[in-house]
Amino acid sequence: MRARTPDREGVVQRDGVRVAFEVFGHGEPALLLIPASPITHARSWKGIVPSLARRFTVITTDGRGTGRSDRPHTSECYAPAEVTADLLAVLDAAGVDLAFLVAHCHAVPWALCLAADHPERVAGLLAIDPAVAVAPPHPHTLEPDRRWADAVDAPSGWAMRNRHFWRQDGGYREWIEFFFGQQLPEPHSTKQYEDTVGWALDTDAEAMIAEREGRAAPAGSEAEALCRRVRCPVRVLHGSDDRCQPVARGRRLAELTGGDLVVLEGAGHLPHGRDPVKVTRLITGFVDRITGAPMYTTTWTRGPCRPRRALFLSSPIGLGHARRDVAVAKELKRLRPELEIDWLAQHPVTTVLEAEGERIHPASQWLASESAHVASEAAGHDLHCFQALRRMDEILVANFMVFQEVVEEGRYDLVIGDEAWDVDYYWHENPELKRGQNVWLTDFVGYLPMPDGGEREAFLTTDYNAEMIEHIDRYPWIRDRAIFVGQDHDIVPDTFGGSLPAIRDWTTRHFSYSGYITGFTPPEPDEVAPLRSELGYRDDELVCVVAVGGSGVGQALIDKVAAAYPLAKKAVPELRMIVVTGPRIDPAAFPQRAGLELRGYVHRLYQHLCVCDLAIVQGGLTTTMELTAAKRPFLYFPLGHHFEQNFHVRHRLDRYGAGHCMDYATTDPDLIAAHITELAGKPVSYRDVETDGAARAAQLIAELI
Amino acid sequence: MRARYPDSDGIVVRDGVEIRYERYGQGWPAILLLPTWSIVHSRHWKMQVPYLARHFTVVCFDGRGSGGSGRPADASAYSDIAFASDAVAVMDAAGIDSAVLVSVSCGAFWALRLCAEHPDRVLGSVFIAPTAPLVPPLAVRRVQRFDKVLDDPVGWQTYNAHYWKTNYPEFVTFFVGRIFIEQHSTKQIEDAIGWALEIDGETLAAAHRGLECCDAAATRRLAARAACPVLVMHGTHDALRGHAEGEALADCTGGALVTLAGAGHFPHARDPVRVNLLIKQFADRVRR
Repeated sequence: MRARTPDREGVVQRDGVRVAFEVFGHGEPALLLIPASPITHARSWKGIVPSLARRFTVITTDGRGTGRSDRPHTSECYAPAEVTADLLAVLDAAGVDLAFLVAHCHAVPWALCLAADHPERVAGLLAIDPAVAVAPPHPHTLEPDRRWADAVDAPSGWAMRNRHFWRQDGGYREWIEFFFGQQLPEPHSTKQYEDTVGWALDTDAEAMIAEREGRAAPAGSEAEALCRRVRCPVRVLHGSDDRCQPVARGRRLAELTGGDLVVLEGAGHLPHGRDPVKVTRLITGFVDRITGAPMYTTTWTRGPCRPRRALFLSSPIGLGHARRDVAVAKELKRLRPELEIDWLAQHPVTTVLEAEGERIHPASQWLASESAHVASEAAGHDLHCFQALRRMDEILVANFMVFQEVVEEGRYDLVIGDEAWDVDYYWHENPELKRGQNVWLTDFVGYLPMPDGGEREAFLTTDYNAEMIEHIDRYPWIRDRAIFVGQDHDIVPDTFGGSLPAIRDWTTRHFSYSGYITGFTPPEPDEVAPLRSELGYRDDELVCVVAVGGSGVGQALIDKVAAAYPLAKKAVPELRMIVVTGPRIDPAAFPQRAGLELRGYVHRLYQHLCVCDLAIVQGGLTTTMELTAAKRPFLYFPLGHHFEQNFHVRHRLDRYGAGHCMDYATTDPDLIAAHITELAGKPVSYRDVETDGAARAAQLIAELI
Repeated sequence: MRARYPDSDGIVVRDGVEIRYERYGQGWPAILLLPTWSIVHSRHWKMQVPYLARHFTVVCFDGRGSGGSGRPADASAYSDIAFASDAVAVMDAAGIDSAVLVSVSCGAFWALRLCAEHPDRVLGSVFIAPTAPLVPPLAVRRVQRFDKVLDDPVGWQTYNAHYWKTNYPEFVTFFVGRIFIEQHSTKQIEDAIGWALEIDGETLAAAHRGLECCDAAATRRLAARAACPVLVMHGTHDALRGHAEGEALADCTGGALVTLAGAGHFPHARDPVRVNLLIKQFADRVRR
């Protein structure tokens, strides 16, 4: 799912060639983002568009030759005059008189032409890794470029940049895979690599050849003259390890235009993809410098006069963490009564927070929905959560930028992130942005590959684990405290992959253990009957609660269990089944069945789980552990390809001797009915779940303030 | 030792009064740190000068009656027009065409006059804890009777010409204590008392009388003519000039208001980092 969808889409058509554009936001001034098409297109800006669009009007185009634009195959169609005319037409169509241009690589000469020839339309130019021939190219590109039109036999490396090779079967793809491998020298860039290769394959070799031969970018003195004609402010960003364009070109461009140069040390050719936070801030800073940063009426509170405040981020995927985070917050307020806690949170967590009277920061409204993304990634009873997390990259960066603005106001002593992946990742990637003490909570450590993902998935999970380990190793001061919600034995016996350490050993070295946090105390045996009666359940009925957690994933399981209901009811006449669809699935979406009760969001669902005679749930940790703590029999169905539910949660439940793990794919309604008949109301013997987890976690946090 | 010494200094003489100024740095734009009431001299900007001078040209001068400047005895020498004219003369002498003005307290009077009457010399104006008699003064100050002979005056009653003749140091101690209501301000208090004792009660009385013409009507008239960008910062705990004065001035000039929660009357001395950053941000904005 995209972090932000356009407010307006359109197409301009010139001489029969259609060029697509999108407009995001309504603020001033306007920014026109120009990709180096057709090798890439508008989606290459995905890491920076959502946060820029909160302040500015952002216009993206695909550029002729790719994306949703036409793909002419004649080189004349790619002359600079054509491309710049497209861009002017896009500005006209978007109703924008004056814009800042942000251009990448060989889009920079187009932007320079626009700025020089139409100064009344261009407020400033930000050039990223400019392909402007005002300094020599990389030596490794000289020979391939000289032999571009020659029939080269079985080329490799840069020599694959060759017209004949691209026309060979698979040649263009091979070139693209090599090229983007070169452009992302930063370790752990697998997602950016997959993205850029994918966008490059959105066009075809003929369009690429036509563009390359029609490009006619100025060189030497002609290029210098073009730069000198630019009158608007210029900023150049250039990666020190850019293998496409040498830094000398960026430096010379800045000199010739009187602009400033920001060298991104250690960065390659795609900093807007690999370092989106820094690039966004450099763009914003540039625009602010020229237009004047808004100076709002505001309050600054003297340091000594500030109340102690914490910002709590609760992982918004489902409801898993909301209950425990509220419990930790309440314990923390008991230990530090003066502490004020704000929540940066999104639906469905806000449902719980509002019901508990917690204070939600108004910036929460700007967060892109992680739950909706996860729901969009699920199919039936299957959710590849590792890949879903990878594909959530643009949502994470968009939400991080919201978070960073909130903490930069400087009001928070403490940030508590319960699996706030965005904060943890981007503060390690941009350590200078850290504000306040930082607490990291999680209930699992380590990405694990699903067996059918093969070597590729094992490579990817290892790479992600390695990046996390390197983050902690390099910047141990980013996490002031890391808390594992559980005990050491809850951690899987696996390693992080490859030659990386064992997960449990490493976690013990870097985390404190709080024990499990249920967020409530299960009822004593003599409290069960009154609670049952309070919730409307009779003693002479067997109550089966079916719950699918708080995310939008669960329809498939509900359908299957609902089909089992008539069979089970026949065998167990005293059965009463209550299906809780949760806050993100509409109960009305299911067909009515006689006797079957459907409910949406149920506040304090754990109370129902605590007194039920049987529960049927997914493999999420929170719900299964609630049932474990309350010692209720339950069936759980881990989502397919969900490594956390299949490995981490299952390992923990096995340790507690809790629940019956079921395989969704091979389970039919008859089998579910048989299990209901066998297990409902039967006693269980699980290991006790600790009840002081929230207090222990709160104590670990309180020590920091 | 000072954190930074001036790159050049000089004296301009206007109407027979010597005005001593200092110039630091060479960035653009220039920032003119205006004098406030003559009870302190230009060293009260000591926390601003070294930082701002790394980015901008900074000029400051001792207001007439204070520091190294002359001490005319006549109240008419201390009008807002006199201070504003000194500022223009200093800018001319220091080679500054136009500047961002920064003023504190009653420095607001000459800043407003410069904004209104010398718009070509002013790029923008920052008002810190401005004296802007657009709203009634703080209730605690209504006991002031400047020219009346009082028996055993206490508190704000010591703001009194007769008392200053005999008990000027006691007044200074009281007054500076009201400037810095923030906890742990001993150094700021010692500094300000030291500067205040460099002049005498008679001179300060003349400086007070010179400003009696600066009333609500005059302030409103000048503020309405100020067309440049304006930033007002005002502490919520300002015990000399209420926060409402800053609000009213921001309102009148269409300027931005930054409320300094918990701050007193000299935030540039007590919270120099935040004030420095706000001045820099404002000057950067004006610079474009």
